[in-house]
Amino acid sequence: MEARYVPRFEIEDALDPGATLFDGVRATDVDLIGTPVGLQPTAAIRVSWTGREIGATDRVRVAAVHDGQTLAFRLEWLDDSENQALLDTTAFPDAAAILFPSVAGAPSVTMGAPGLAVTAWYWRADEPGRGRHVVAEGLGTSRTLDVELVRGRGVWKEGRWQIVIARALRVATDEPVAQLTAGETTGFGVAVWDGQHGERAGIKAFSGDWRELRLAAAPAVMGR
Amino acid sequence: MPEVKRQLSMVLDLNKCIGCQTCTIACKRLWTRDEGMDYMWWNTVNTMPGRGTPRDWEQLGGGFQEGQPRPGKLPRRRDFGDAWNFNYDEVFYGGKGDRVHLKVVGEEPDWGPNWDEDQGAGEYPNAYYFYLPRICNHCTNPACVEACPRTAIVKREEDGIVLIDEDRCRGYRFCMEACPYKKIYFNHAQKVAQKCIFCFPRVEQGVAPACARMCPGRVRFVGYRDDENGPIHKLVDKWKVALPLHPDFGTDPNVFYVPPLAPPRFDENGDIDESKPRIPNEYLVSLFGPPVLGVLETLKSEMAKTREGGKSEVLDILIAYQWKSMFGGFDRDPGSLTWNKT
Repeated sequence: MEARYVPRFEIEDALDPGATLFDGVRATDVDLIGTPVGLQPTAAIRVSWTGREIGATDRVRVAAVHDGQTLAFRLEWLDDSENQALLDTTAFPDAAAILFPSVAGAPSVTMGAPGLAVTAWYWRADEPGRGRHVVAEGLGTSRTLDVELVRGRGVWKEGRWQIVIARALRVATDEPVAQLTAGETTGFGVAVWDGQHGERAGIKAFSGDWRELRLAAAPAVMGR
Repeated sequence: MPEVKRQLSMVLDLNKCIGCQTCTIACKRLWTRDEGMDYMWWNTVNTMPGRGTPRDWEQLGGGFQEGQPRPGKLPRRRDFGDAWNFNYDEVFYGGKGDRVHLKVVGEEPDWGPNWDEDQGAGEYPNAYYFYLPRICNHCTNPACVEACPRTAIVKREEDGIVLIDEDRCRGYRFCMEACPYKKIYFNHAQKVAQKCIFCFPRVEQGVAPACARMCPGRVRFVGYRDDENGPIHKLVDKWKVALPLHPDFGTDPNVFYVPPLAPPRFDENGDIDESKPRIPNEYLVSLFGPPVLGVLETLKSEMAKTREGGKSEVLDILIAYQWKSMFGGFDRDPGSLTWNKT
């Protein structure tokens, strides 16, 4: 799919899921599958999730725009219940994330591998306005680098989540995070956690192998 | 299974516990006063038989069976017993103290820590109960450590204390499901799991955990399991009078209990009937396994020996004539420490 180039926008405007920013942008339906129970990193999780449905969300509609500085995704999916507050020990939040390879060859299914980092832009319903900027080099290794660079906001209405996740294409850091460039193509993935079904950690719906995202080239600056 | 060089342990003599909750409050004041910790009681004392804290925890699964994890359930917040708010303002400052009673504000609670206090079981005049104080068991085969997908829980090599690294914890709560003793709490405000830390900052300075040091009943012994001159080794390994709770849960706890003896039964004529125990053997076996019966025999025979004027090392240890002897060298006065808050 393509992240369409749009003239310069403010990240705050992009975070409004109903913003006109995405008007006319072609959205892509991405099929999701549950993560394999055999890939869960501990025996306790494997035993407790064997025979249970993993990945309650089977499809997410994805649209993306960038202005040469910031890349924003809008995700939409069906969810009967809004799970936000963590008031009880049994309550888990709805959440979603976009995944990128930080370096070429990083595997998506295992959340990277040692020396082959992946970067996640993670949003969850109980943390309005912000996102988590995450890197991982294998299952169970994810680290939240900061909660400032990735921004996210979501609205749940009539059985449907509509959220926006955004970050600058390039960020200043020594960490192995994905640095993106307009005009180039990157792999990406999507994951959705349904809190109502106890989904958290590796228990989620995800898009499998990398999908392709073309970042439309910014128009050439006209000569003087 | 995590390898450790030494293991710190605790032995609790249930024959001496009076259910005063001083341990509970000592722990509360020291460790669980931060945001999101209001409903937490890392140390609990419950009347047994009873449904416990959290409610019906013995039926919530977790632990290991035949070497495989056994699925567990998450206790709900109200099963622990929420932190209730009371109408303090109205009663104490509202000028209505002669008319209004202290009561919970909001939803009427239907459970709480030690909710079924002193109910026990059995019929008068043979009713029975005893108190069971519980902390994290700092297990040798900790189900929480195995369950965590982020290796956020560690069993310390130097002393076997099991700790949650709150920087790594993401609040997934697989540990809470896996712990068969249901001794892990979820902090809703900080979004991390929290539990008893065996007072490791005190222990590192030679001070026994607060629950042990504050116990007015001299119930709790502390020390390294391999210290042959210490109370743990003597009670657990030499005299074999202290047993783990629910060995059937498969996690190999490092907290041990001297099981409760009980007064004899009365028969229908009101005469003392020594033929059957007041606390049914099956019940104690269900808690501590079959060896509990041998422990009770050992205790009885040692008591008989001293009644005849003999000496009993194990009873001398349990009586704890010297308070400091209970702490296996961890007997430094915490008042002598200087704490640096970082």
